[in-house]
Amino acid sequence: MTSTVGAHRSADARRGSPASPRGDRAALLAPALLAAIGLGALVVVFLWWSNTASVVSPAAWITNAGRLCGLLAGYAAPVLVVLMARIPLLDRTLGSDRLARWHAMGGRYMVGLVVAHVLLIIWGYALTDHNGLVHQTAQLVFHYPDMLKATIGTLLLLGVGAVSARAARRRLSYETWYYLHLATYVAIFLTFFHQLANGAEFVLSTKAKVIWYGLYLGAAALILWFRFAVPTLLAFRHRLRVAEVRPEAPGVHSVFITGRRLDELARATRSGQFFRWRFAQRGLLLAGNPYSLSAPPNPDYLRITVKDLGGHSAALARLRPGTRVFAEGPYGAFTAERRPGRRGKVLLLAAGVGITPLRALFESLPARRGELTLVYRASREDDLVFRAELESIARARGARLHYLVGSRAEIGEPLQARTLLGMLPDLREHDVFLCGPEGMTRTAHEALETAGVPRGRIHHESFEF
Amino acid sequence: MRRTVLTAGGTALGVVLLLAAKPHHTVAVAVPAVTAPEQDSSGTGSGTGTGAGSSSGSPSGSSPSASSTGGAAKSTGVRTITGGSVDTRWGPVQVKVTFNGSKITAIDVVQEPDGNPRDQEINSQAIPILTQEALAAQSANIDAVSGASYTSEGYIGSLQSALDAAK
Repeated sequence: MTSTVGAHRSADARRGSPASPRGDRAALLAPALLAAIGLGALVVVFLWWSNTASVVSPAAWITNAGRLCGLLAGYAAPVLVVLMARIPLLDRTLGSDRLARWHAMGGRYMVGLVVAHVLLIIWGYALTDHNGLVHQTAQLVFHYPDMLKATIGTLLLLGVGAVSARAARRRLSYETWYYLHLATYVAIFLTFFHQLANGAEFVLSTKAKVIWYGLYLGAAALILWFRFAVPTLLAFRHRLRVAEVRPEAPGVHSVFITGRRLDELARATRSGQFFRWRFAQRGLLLAGNPYSLSAPPNPDYLRITVKDLGGHSAALARLRPGTRVFAEGPYGAFTAERRPGRRGKVLLLAAGVGITPLRALFESLPARRGELTLVYRASREDDLVFRAELESIARARGARLHYLVGSRAEIGEPLQARTLLGMLPDLREHDVFLCGPEGMTRTAHEALETAGVPRGRIHHESFEF
Repeated sequence: MRRTVLTAGGTALGVVLLLAAKPHHTVAVAVPAVTAPEQDSSGTGSGTGTGAGSSSGSPSGSSPSASSTGGAAKSTGVRTITGGSVDTRWGPVQVKVTFNGSKITAIDVVQEPDGNPRDQEINSQAIPILTQEALAAQSANIDAVSGASYTSEGYIGSLQSALDAAK
């Protein structure tokens, strides 16, 4: 197997520009989805409203505020799960990164609601019963139905919330973070029952119970289907295996994967998309790590290219040929369809290992000769990967290729409007695809906007987990 | 950071506005002699507060094990009917209804959850309210008492079975 550039006419090139533009669909779907979530929240508030005759005493104010927070948190849980259910329509139209951002924001909000719920309910009940807070807490935990479970679930949830907080997350490996997130499913399960047993909205209303069961079972079904059943079916259909592991640069390896019916997989996948990969090897089986394809999907092999950042990514270098591979995907909206029907100039701006999806797009993104440019930023010459391939693609497609090599100490910040405009005086006429580490993409985003590229033409997918 | 403050502030404001939009006196039935429902909240395991199921929430169909033990005279005169015993999470609830003709004149509780002092305290507050509501409504179509949802459910279920038996 070779990675001869241009050996395969890419799926994107064959397809040409798509008939139904996804960029426009994203513009419709995002507000529609947010509106639907907001509408659901209103229904939840209405449950409380129709079940509450009056709010008389201070204790009732506090208790009812606690009930509202609890109801909204109980609604947020399945919604947040659904955002992460990897529903193809959402992932491919809105982009997995955007969904993950929404999920993270919503998650923080939900943790806030849960904390408010717990404190307000304890306080409100204590006032009503003329109890001390400690005594009331013990009452609630030990004497109310399903509250022991709910307490354990809540503590779990708050624990996950604490370690997912931005500061703590930097010190976690992707795997640890991933497993901790699985604990939230347990937490949601444990806290579900106290809602129905103690929530005044549910005790007497079958309708409300049905709504709640529908919400939670629906979310569970989506998760089971898209995150479990579909990947399993895919694994049986394609029986993917590692074919070869090839070093590309110090600490950077490409993994070639072959299997059955890869033509089907190639047809379903676009350059720029990623899969979540599991390998039948210790430490690589449970956590599915997202890696972009580093070559356009083709009927002969899939290729990912991974930089050793510890954990999963380091272990990939030691994969043996023949190892079974379980791929979940394709995901991501970082594809040619970001610029629906749009002709004209394109700049691919890559830094470090962010080259991988752009390497695939560089080969297959529809563009005329002279209209495609790749700018590839790396701190050291050694870190540049795919040089031969990139140069050969550039020649074959009549595309421009610039390297920005050197540490900032040596060459200053290269991702500035001035530098970029120096390379491409007509920068503002370009669609820009941007991929790299978080800091780089932020810098580049600012530089591009300063240079006059409209925000809507800067396409960016972040791989922050 | 600013977004966090805005979201938290917005939510708090929303909650306060919702609470403020509710009436701040006891509604449904006037219960002069009894403490207002809201002050009795925190119930037998249920409800986080102001209860009162939507008025259509009469659990007539949901009385779990209502086995009506009807008795006494027919159509006219004073008679008493004991409703079915309804099991709730905290114990069975059963009421005895006194009719004068078809008018409900009294409701006595035969069984109520009394497993612990807390139950007794909650019931001592909730049951008079339920009785007042039922006497005023002359039916089992009454609101549950906040914080005493289980007792309310049992009370309403047992009452309904007595009313069914009286027909």
